[in-house]
Amino acid sequence: MSVSARIKFGRRGPVRYLGHLDMMRYFQRCVMKCSLEAVYSEGFHPHQLLSFAYPLGVSMETDGDYADLVMKDGADAGKVKEALNSVMHEGIYVREVRILGEGTLNAMASVAAADYELFVSAEEGLQEAASRILAEKELFTAGDGKKKPKDIRPGILELRAEGSRLFMKLLSGSALNVRPADVFEGMKTYLPEESKCTLIRRLEIYGTKDGKYVPLIEM
Amino acid sequence: MDKAERKLALTHEQLMSIEKPARYTGGEPNSVMKDSWRLRFAMCFPDVYEIGMSHLGQQILYGLMNSYEDVWCERVFSPWTDLDALMRREHIPLFALESQDPLKDFDFIGLTLQYEMCYVNILQILELSGLALRAADREDSDPVIIGGGPCVFNTEPIADFFDIFYIGEGESCYRELFDLYLKCRDEGLSKREFLIKATAIEGMYVPCLYDVEYDEKGRLKAMYPNTPGVPEKVRKTIVKDLDGVYYPTAPVVPFIQAAQDRAVLEVMRGCIRGCRFCQAGQIYKPVRRRSPETLLRYARELIDNTGYDVISLSSLSTSDYPELKELLEGLISFCSERKINISLPSLRIDAFSLDVMNKVQDVKKNSLTFAPEAGSPRMRNVINKGLAKEDILNGAELAFRGGWNRVKLYFMLGLPGEEEEDIRAIAELCNDIAMLYYDTVPKEERKGRVNITASSSFFVPKPFTAFQWAPMDRKENFLEKAAFTKRCVREQLNQKSISYHYHDSGTTIIEGVLARGDRRLSAAIEAVYRKGAVFDAWTETFSYERWIEAFEETGTDYGDYIYRERPADELFPWDYLDCGVTKAYLYREWQRAKEAVVTPNCRDRCAGCGCTGYGVGICVGK
Ligand code: SF4
Ligand code: SF4
Repeated sequence: MSVSARIKFGRRGPVRYLGHLDMMRYFQRCVMKCSLEAVYSEGFHPHQLLSFAYPLGVSMETDGDYADLVMKDGADAGKVKEALNSVMHEGIYVREVRILGEGTLNAMASVAAADYELFVSAEEGLQEAASRILAEKELFTAGDGKKKPKDIRPGILELRAEGSRLFMKLLSGSALNVRPADVFEGMKTYLPEESKCTLIRRLEIYGTKDGKYVPLIEM
Repeated sequence: MDKAERKLALTHEQLMSIEKPARYTGGEPNSVMKDSWRLRFAMCFPDVYEIGMSHLGQQILYGLMNSYEDVWCERVFSPWTDLDALMRREHIPLFALESQDPLKDFDFIGLTLQYEMCYVNILQILELSGLALRAADREDSDPVIIGGGPCVFNTEPIADFFDIFYIGEGESCYRELFDLYLKCRDEGLSKREFLIKATAIEGMYVPCLYDVEYDEKGRLKAMYPNTPGVPEKVRKTIVKDLDGVYYPTAPVVPFIQAAQDRAVLEVMRGCIRGCRFCQAGQIYKPVRRRSPETLLRYARELIDNTGYDVISLSSLSTSDYPELKELLEGLISFCSERKINISLPSLRIDAFSLDVMNKVQDVKKNSLTFAPEAGSPRMRNVINKGLAKEDILNGAELAFRGGWNRVKLYFMLGLPGEEEEDIRAIAELCNDIAMLYYDTVPKEERKGRVNITASSSFFVPKPFTAFQWAPMDRKENFLEKAAFTKRCVREQLNQKSISYHYHDSGTTIIEGVLARGDRRLSAAIEAVYRKGAVFDAWTETFSYERWIEAFEETGTDYGDYIYRERPADELFPWDYLDCGVTKAYLYREWQRAKEAVVTPNCRDRCAGCGCTGYGVGICVGK
């Protein structure tokens, strides 16, 4: 018998330049290193059943991303967290682990919204730009040869400036997925030309429960 | 220091403007940060991160040096062309991955010389570090530039760029060299004084302490020390006891996908078989090995420390490891318990190896590999490859019965004394194997056609081989021979089951020149670099024409290095070096090659190559 462990993790510092596949490999190796009782697939090349909620873009930091790992029955949340952190020293660390109840939707399918913090090179005009965006009815992304412009305004649930930082809550998932970089691009019309975003940090990923947004760890 | 708090040499914008930024940000599991040190060593692999990180020698030295409390060793790889351009444009000095500090701040810059085609990248590393390319033009305060790795068995083409070459295995003498360096620094001695003293340590070759003379034809006449106390010959240094020496059981694990993404167990060093074209077979002599107990202990430690899910065995010829059965049994049981895959090197195909492969690999997905190197039995005698046609066919038959239906074969073209019929034999051997498949496997059990892939490389007469006296084929001949091979394959009955590929001939010619050249070649290497050559080991960046232009502009008679058969008394640029095997032995082997006589391997009968002087390994019955 098996259970799923939901792992909430953070990543900060130079490791933010890893790609999504690098992160998967890193986690798999950590599981292997600390001899966690993971469940493996059958066949010649057994592999762990590990899946991430939401790929982290190259250069994005996070305080609240998620992975689900299938483990043997009897896995203990506290021990899993401790074991993983004992082999992670690179700026990637486990914040919380929860053993999921039967029938819980997997992390990837649960993603509905996410919070972000953006570090901007200058404070000037930030608050103003945020208000302008919120006052508008629509906000179209630029689009390119491959992607059509799309209206992301309905997906901006919250947006505010605090000094030279921006906070936003954005709709995520299959219906409308809003990227924080696209919101910042849209704000640029109202910002001084040299304004740059130097760091994007995801703060939390939410699912929905009884019509409310709930962090994935509480699902 | 916390890896998450490290500073980076490149800004966010710079990192986001280049391919794979994680090549340059360091901080990987098992990478080493230090707060204090007396000596800093920058270990550079002059190719991209993914290649360099897959290199066991690099991991060995990194771990070994960092095990010294007073030394901090960091890693450097060639910046790919995108970052190279950015660094030049924005005047960013080349930096090491761990501290992200500029290379100029280091005491030593060590360059791994793994293949000749990375020579231009050495110049890239020196230039991006803000250092003069030639040792003679550098300051006393600049880092000591030291080279190591298999290409040091002919250092001369790049001698002018280096202060020292470390000839032999890195584990044995670095501590001694560092102690000397620290002592000289404490005493305020000059770099030159340090270098002279260094020549007393086994394996240290300081090129500026030797003078070279050429005769009226422009060929090497003499080479001798120009400073008192400097030895005439430099002797290769080796590890005496592999079980007792340092082994990296906690190697740095790359975040990004490296070429070799696995835990590596080095089983043996050296090879008992003296194939006459093979340089590795000579320069790593004598054969020494690790015990199965040591290796199994390392396997456990490696998995615990890295989390890799694949282990592979490494050596020149793992089938010759006497305790292979014991080792594999232990490994298979450990690996199945921990869900780890075993990647087997190309073992000699027999009942035992097929049984093992059956256990650890998916037969349907894997192919059998044979390296007969030559097509005809006569030619295989010439090159001393003791692989009889029956052995290949018997192995293939067993494998076909076991369900395999893919075979890979490796050959060489342009070997000394090669005739048309030797080349035709390549095609015929492929055909015979295909035929054997259809004879062995009944129609109803076949899963489609048998799939035979033959590839050929072109022969390069390397230093310290029996063929060092042999000429190399011209580029046109290489291409003609490849075309002829292709035609012969197409004439075979089972040609539809055979595909044939061959290597780039231009790369081979340049590799030959760089492997065999003398000190004067540094002018051409610098010239080709100035013309923009970098990453010659990559087809997308290599240009043969650029090299030929550089040879012409510098008046380099490159053909003289590769196209002529050398007389018995010719002095080679690498003759100052004692790698264990004697020139007399190699010449004997050259004569036996001409008579197509096979020489038995070290285990069957000692061929008296000269290595007994080391008093270790197989020469003394171990
Ligand atoms: S078996 Fe032959 S080719 Fe292979 S390493 Fe040994 S000497 Fe070289
Ligand atoms: S001395 Fe004899 S046994 Fe030792 S490496 Fe040479 S040929 Fe082999």
